[in-house]
Amino acid sequence: MKLEGPFIVVDPERCMGCHTCEIACAAAHTKAGNLMGAVLAHELLHPRNRVVQVDEVKLSTQCRQCEDAPCVRVCPTGATYQTETYTAVDQQRCIGCRLCMMVCPFGAIHVATTEVEGRSKRAAFKCDLCLDRKEGPACVEACPTQALSLRYPKEVVAASSAVSARQYLEALSSKDQLTRQR
Amino acid sequence: MAQTEDIREKSIDPSVQPMLERAKELGVPTVWDRYQAMLPQCGFGELGICCRNCNMGPCRISPFEDAGPKQGVCGATADIIVARNLIRMIAGGAAAHSDHGRDLAHTLMLTAEGKGGGYEIKDTEKLNTLAAEYQIKTKGRSKEEVALDLARAVYAEFGKQEGPVQFTRRAPEKRVAVWQNFGIDPRGVDREIVEIMHRTHIGVDNDPVHLILQGLKASIADGWGGSTIATELSDVLFGTPQPQRSEVNLGVLQKAQVNIIIHGHEPTLSEMIVAASKDPEMKSLAEKAGADGINVAGICCTGNEVLMRHGIPLAGNFMQQELAVITGAVEAVIVDVQCIMPALGALSDCFHTKFISTSPKAKFPGATHIEFHEEKAYDIAKDIVRMAVENYRFRRPNQVQIPDDKMECMVGFSTEAILKALGGTPDPLLEAIKSGSVKGIAGVVGCNNPKIQHDFGHVHLVQELIKNNVLVVTTGCNAIACAKAGLMLPEAADQAGEGLKEVCRSLGLPPVLHMGSCVDISRILTFCAAAANALGVDISDLPIAGAAPEWMSEKAVSIGAYVVSSGIFTVLGTVPPVLGSPEVTEVLTKGAKDVVGATFAVEPDPYKGAQLMINHIDEKRAALGI
Repeated sequence: MKLEGPFIVVDPERCMGCHTCEIACAAAHTKAGNLMGAVLAHELLHPRNRVVQVDEVKLSTQCRQCEDAPCVRVCPTGATYQTETYTAVDQQRCIGCRLCMMVCPFGAIHVATTEVEGRSKRAAFKCDLCLDRKEGPACVEACPTQALSLRYPKEVVAASSAVSARQYLEALSSKDQLTRQR
Repeated sequence: MAQTEDIREKSIDPSVQPMLERAKELGVPTVWDRYQAMLPQCGFGELGICCRNCNMGPCRISPFEDAGPKQGVCGATADIIVARNLIRMIAGGAAAHSDHGRDLAHTLMLTAEGKGGGYEIKDTEKLNTLAAEYQIKTKGRSKEEVALDLARAVYAEFGKQEGPVQFTRRAPEKRVAVWQNFGIDPRGVDREIVEIMHRTHIGVDNDPVHLILQGLKASIADGWGGSTIATELSDVLFGTPQPQRSEVNLGVLQKAQVNIIIHGHEPTLSEMIVAASKDPEMKSLAEKAGADGINVAGICCTGNEVLMRHGIPLAGNFMQQELAVITGAVEAVIVDVQCIMPALGALSDCFHTKFISTSPKAKFPGATHIEFHEEKAYDIAKDIVRMAVENYRFRRPNQVQIPDDKMECMVGFSTEAILKALGGTPDPLLEAIKSGSVKGIAGVVGCNNPKIQHDFGHVHLVQELIKNNVLVVTTGCNAIACAKAGLMLPEAADQAGEGLKEVCRSLGLPPVLHMGSCVDISRILTFCAAAANALGVDISDLPIAGAAPEWMSEKAVSIGAYVVSSGIFTVLGTVPPVLGSPEVTEVLTKGAKDVVGATFAVEPDPYKGAQLMINHIDEKRAALGI
């Protein structure tokens, strides 16, 4: 059976639009693994997430790790593929055709210049949940207001059910008149 | 069409849209594009709760109850960090205005010593008035001797240790007493700015209210010190402005002439460029180049300086500096200091326009630097004008698109000119205020800011005020916005309420009076002091209010601080970075009333902002029993 993998969500009420998650993401994916080291080594910095503004609300956006991912379906070389827990990009196989970029409904995948096995090329970038990072996603760790979190679908569903069940019960108990009539 | 609508939302000025369409066509970015690219802007910065004052940081305070740090590494709270950041902004603004004043004192000194390369003392009457304030003898002495003593005395204000700064004593005695009571009577211009930098260093002053009081102190040294010095000495050297007519907006650029834009702040440069452009040698050079003459037009405050004194047309305010270049009709943009976008370098590269920096203090990427020194002012100005004229032949006529929009205006209302228009005393105006035909006076000033539709805040706030019989005095980019909107014509009295309309008509004045550049807000202070003294009250008792509808610069923060410190309620149209501190917000919007008798209010809606000012004026009228 396929596992339902985690994904990153933002609480727009907490997001300050400070772009710290973008910097943390870009730095975590460098060879140096940190911002200062990467800048000193003249490494290219590419965030996989993006902070946007919708009217007055600021929030970060990143890959939803779709179950039936359009980026995977559209990839002609199989560079974008589904693992057990997330959608991945093999930059070596990527030809930089940007089809994934065009079909992603979240704008969460983009093509930029990078170095793959000593060769400079254009390839796709997307959130990989920092699976190689033992502390977990760099953006979640860096967010100064804890607006970002790594969530597991089952937990989310269970928590939501519990919350809504409680609300339902509270609503019932506060409206006893109504319930009796029924 | 969506694009056009998008562009229409950027400004209410009809000259802006065709230029932004043109920019899009050419693929050159402007301030509006860069602002869009900057969104979302960091919320910590917006709230003022990030601190980079030491290298244990950078620190930032979480505004959320249940998440993130509540103190910096040193233990500074949001209140401390916001207060420190705010007064550092005041230090920046006060430094800019006051250094401008210092340059004028330097020029006056050189001129008095006979070393000024083309400057002269034009207003002896003002020289003598100022000399009297400093108790400098004038009888039987040449104007140069008096000017030298005055320049030395004024120069000393900057480095004074124990005060008082002479021009602060123009304020009513009651006001000076307020300043002395709360320890905010400045001891010297530079000293108060330095003390802000000291107090905001790691581990020095950590009491938000105590910090803000120092900010007010430095701001008073700016408004009643550095800025007043800049205004007064400019008047001595270049003449006190008198009413005259001119034109404003991008349409003042001439299709068949050499167009020179002067942009920045200090009249020491713009005056000489204007003079050099009228030099017969330059004129014949322009003719030889095939041009119909030389047209100098201003942008921002140095434009206001030469508009006020010589009727030199103004091409626009802060947000139009790039648009002037985009017309393709500008041979040179000559700049000195303050509010000059570094973007002008790359932009001029796309056109034939030469971007010429002149100040020893200010260099820009992509600019040709021709350093300006007062000792050889005229010669250097001629060199610069020559460069512009020689550039005319590189203009590409098929690239030229000058908008038709321009507006006539009546400008030049220095305090002296207003008094003269009133018949020599403020009494007729004070009587009109007492009778209620003029409800009160509003000083509306400040910058442009892409956070607000260009000129929307300025024009609508001012229109709302005059409609309610509030006479408006203005400087800086607000003045330019009002001039462009036709509010500086005597005919604009038709837009005023009945009482103000009558007064304007009988005196032949516009309902919105142009008092000059941003340092010339000192003229408004001097005027308020004269009115308060005439009535025997404090400035805070007068039915007056201030506003900065589209402010953006540190200078504007200092201005706001000294206007409030002078006892004048002030409405800000963009939110200052203080909301991260409940205490600082409370002090600025409420607590300040118990100290200086005035507060700030923030209101981005110009109609509501005007209403706040009118309500305040009504309250003051009721308290005075008029």
